[in-house]
Amino acid sequence: MPKLKIELDVNGRKISRETDAYKRLLDFLRDDLNLTGTKEGCGAGECGTCSVFVDGKLVKSCLMPVAKASGTKIETIEGLAKPGDLTPMQKAFHKTGASQCGYCIPGMVMAATSALRQNPNAGIEEIKERLGGNICRCTGYTKIFEAVELAKAVIAGDMPEDALNEDAVGDSYIGHNVRRLDAPSKVSGRLRYAADMKMHDMLQLQVLRSPHPHANIVSIDTSAAEAMDGVVCVITSADVPDDTDGFGVFVHDQPIMARGVVRHVGEAVAAVAAEDLVTARRALSKIKVVYEEIAGVFDPEDALKDGAAIVHDYAPDNVVKHIPVRKGNVEAGFANADIILEDDFSTQQVEHAYLEPEAGIAYVDADDVIVVISPSQNITHHRHMLSHILKKPINKVRFIMSPVGGGFGGKEDMIYQGMLAIVAMKTHRPVQLNFTREESIIASAKRHPSRVHYKMGLKWNGEITAIQFNMLSDGGAYGMSSEGVMRKAAILSCGPYEVHNLSVDTTAVYTNNTPSGAFRTFGGMQAQFATESMMDMAAEALEMDPFQIRRINMMKIGSRTHTQHTLTAASLDRCLDAAEKESRWENGTPNVRGDKRSDLGGDDTRAPCTLGARFTSGKNSDKERVA
Amino acid sequence: MLTCDTYHMPTNLRDALEIWSGAPEGSSLISGATDILPWAREGRAGDVHIPSFVDVTKIKELDGHTVANGRVRLGANTVYQDFLTDASLRHLLPCMPYCAIWFADDQIREQATFAGNLANASPVADGTPPAAALNASLELARLDGGNIKTRQLTVSDFIVGPGRTLLQPDEIITAVSLDAVAGYGGSFQKVGQRRSLVISVACCAALVKADSTGRYFDDLRLALGGVGPRPMRLTAIEARLRGERISHRTIDQAAKLAADEVASRSRQEYRRDVVIGFVKSALEEALENQPDIDVTYEDLGETENA
Ligand SMILES: Cc1cc2nc3c(=O)[nH]c(=O)nc-3n(C[C@H](O)[C@H](O)[C@H](O)COP(=O)(O)OP(=O)(O)OC[C@H]3O[C@@H](n4cnc5c(N)ncnc54)[C@H](O)[C@@H]3O)c2cc1C
Ligand code: FES
Ligand code: FES
Repeated sequence: MPKLKIELDVNGRKISRETDAYKRLLDFLRDDLNLTGTKEGCGAGECGTCSVFVDGKLVKSCLMPVAKASGTKIETIEGLAKPGDLTPMQKAFHKTGASQCGYCIPGMVMAATSALRQNPNAGIEEIKERLGGNICRCTGYTKIFEAVELAKAVIAGDMPEDALNEDAVGDSYIGHNVRRLDAPSKVSGRLRYAADMKMHDMLQLQVLRSPHPHANIVSIDTSAAEAMDGVVCVITSADVPDDTDGFGVFVHDQPIMARGVVRHVGEAVAAVAAEDLVTARRALSKIKVVYEEIAGVFDPEDALKDGAAIVHDYAPDNVVKHIPVRKGNVEAGFANADIILEDDFSTQQVEHAYLEPEAGIAYVDADDVIVVISPSQNITHHRHMLSHILKKPINKVRFIMSPVGGGFGGKEDMIYQGMLAIVAMKTHRPVQLNFTREESIIASAKRHPSRVHYKMGLKWNGEITAIQFNMLSDGGAYGMSSEGVMRKAAILSCGPYEVHNLSVDTTAVYTNNTPSGAFRTFGGMQAQFATESMMDMAAEALEMDPFQIRRINMMKIGSRTHTQHTLTAASLDRCLDAAEKESRWENGTPNVRGDKRSDLGGDDTRAPCTLGARFTSGKNSDKERVA
Repeated sequence: MLTCDTYHMPTNLRDALEIWSGAPEGSSLISGATDILPWAREGRAGDVHIPSFVDVTKIKELDGHTVANGRVRLGANTVYQDFLTDASLRHLLPCMPYCAIWFADDQIREQATFAGNLANASPVADGTPPAAALNASLELARLDGGNIKTRQLTVSDFIVGPGRTLLQPDEIITAVSLDAVAGYGGSFQKVGQRRSLVISVACCAALVKADSTGRYFDDLRLALGGVGPRPMRLTAIEARLRGERISHRTIDQAAKLAADEVASRSRQEYRRDVVIGFVKSALEEALENQPDIDVTYEDLGETENA
């Protein structure tokens, strides 16, 4: 392909390079100049991990063809401070704990730097507005905004420079602001995540994914792809030993690549390793797969019906896991109730959307050890599974955990590391796979969509006499963490309340939807949504204050949990006291206060979202200070 | 992923038109790239190969703006951030800062052009309601026997439907001309799924001028986006309000009438509710944003004065 000559100034360095005409500024910085502090979180302008200054204006480098950058002055995260130093903004991010996984942080620092360059006096609403193009999935933004305000004060001379230093720690770390050890590597963009790592002679891997939710694979013809210049190998399930192929957090039901049948849209079917990314992607379109579509099952209730499509032969009832918990005598409990409430609650599928899309490298070292580097949240288990699947002794398989740019449970599943290992073994060359954002969304596990049927019996005084809790969850096409999630949902089902008579069932079933897996709270959220809603509805029915009904039923020291564990410590009373005080709670039944509530609004509550903080006033538009 | 064989960056219009008319089949014009790059991704167009890109952003004739005969001629290289940072544009096009502030984010606005937004012809493009309200016309240039020929098309003629325009294969948009309405109060309303980086579900632009007493509507412009395949100018409501005493009651009635005009295929009920709220707040905010005139509402101001 014809090359493009690019001449520009990057971080004060004059650069003159030939590069591919189609590259984006982001690719040029990362691949050609090895400036990997600028990240690719989405490639579509949505996340801000790629923000850089071009001639002093902050732009998203994933949306800028590199040709446009020729003749410009570029500033990246690496160029903000001299080596070994940090700018006040970077120091402020370090100080306030604004970096967590760190993947959004270089872009955040750039956007924050730009905000104060545009307006050194920007108020907090304007700062928020100017950072609006950058997403963070870890911090909740509060500490980031704290950092920008701190940097602003120091730069303006309103606070001394040593305000950026670490606070003294007293006798205990608890109660003191302690800086994170890894923050400097993140605020400076120096920390290398898996997609930032490079090895000599490294191949790029791309994955062909199923367009069908449920289909038999009649044939896969890889010959045209293999014949392409630059393609080094194409792999399918034929390259994996069939008697050991299978991984999963609990049940090993998922092959490295689809074996004879695809069970969800986005399942890996084949993969191409090539000298470069473009060749690998073009080769994907040359692989011919003949599918025979078969009936699927897409609703967890349908999955349990007679005659439903069977997703895995080993589970003809489509049940991944059923967890029952029984305590006391539910029938007696309901018989003893003054009032019985019954309702249904459902929650939807949720994507983790960690800012770092899945990425990894594999190679075989000189001692024939297969090494996989990836942001895996479960490397020891992955190592054991891969050694079993590949029939290699455990000392010949090594997993290295690269910095995790956000996981939230979504990186517990070994959905791509196996493909990397197989290519490394077949080629004896290092190989890298970087998911696109779209691929991450289509292929990774989600939060379980759930339905809970709830029945609660209560006395007029608010005491719960019995609970029947029945949860059905959509596990999707593979087991992944479903078993653990159902267990946790069952254990936490009825909340932090002492219930003497309960009957709990949580069930996850197979469907042909995207697999469900681990996600922050691991089943707890779905259960608590039902339980806490039920508590509020009970308070309403009994004309009680919602705090009061919770205090009546809460677990205390000596209470027995749903799973018959006797508590020797309990703190719900203090949690409730603190929540009631801090929310300035107005006592009373939830439905009697109308719009006159005194606990709504006020300085410490969030105003509804609006934009335009930078317009000082609509009157006299000449004096409008806009940007 | 988007690939191409060649990427041209002509610096004058003649060169650009020559390259463009000689570009191989399937080639594309590109300005800010903020629509084109995200379009060539999985789930949308997928991997796309374009033989040649002709980038218009270095063409000097497309830079800057001029004012003549009550119209502002915006060079096609005008980006959304200019509506916030350029004092003269803020003055001449008072609804545009409010439109721009809701558009994408500060970074994308540095690249995204107003012309590209209209050329892309999305039914929910934020630029189309103000364009309709300000009687926008596009200036299109092409080579004809070695000479540069231009023609003008109104934005409502230019946009034929979602993603479809009357741009001819060898033409380049060189400018967008709009009514210069200094002295009007401007407003822009938008609903989307979040605050930044979001395409509108529906949007509304308003420009209002009260008479010197601040009591009567002297002139006004109202247009909606996202409620049909093309932007909708609410001329009947404009005519009805012109010369009317400013009051909340009149504005409420106008808002209900606007909702009746909405002809959207999807989520009609929701859009109807939104339109009522939009028209009401757009008119009230535009009145409030009008420079130099303090507006008095009949049904509020007068009782206070009494
Ligand atoms: C994250 C994100 C958020 C966004 N938010 C918004 C939003 O809030 N509101 C909104 O309306 N849009 C939004 N957009 C869409 C986009 O930014 C706008 O439509 C933008 O104005 C397009 O302009 P551009 O210069 O980038 O066009 P390009 O992508 O360069 O081109 C768009 C189209 O116009 C054609 N074209 C460009 N210039 C010319 C010319 N001079 N002559 C002829 N044809 C031309 C191109 O060939 C192409 O077909 C968003 C996009 C992203 C990625
Ligand atoms: S905005 Fe550029 S990678 Fe997300
Ligand atoms: S720290 Fe912001 S995404 Fe992780």
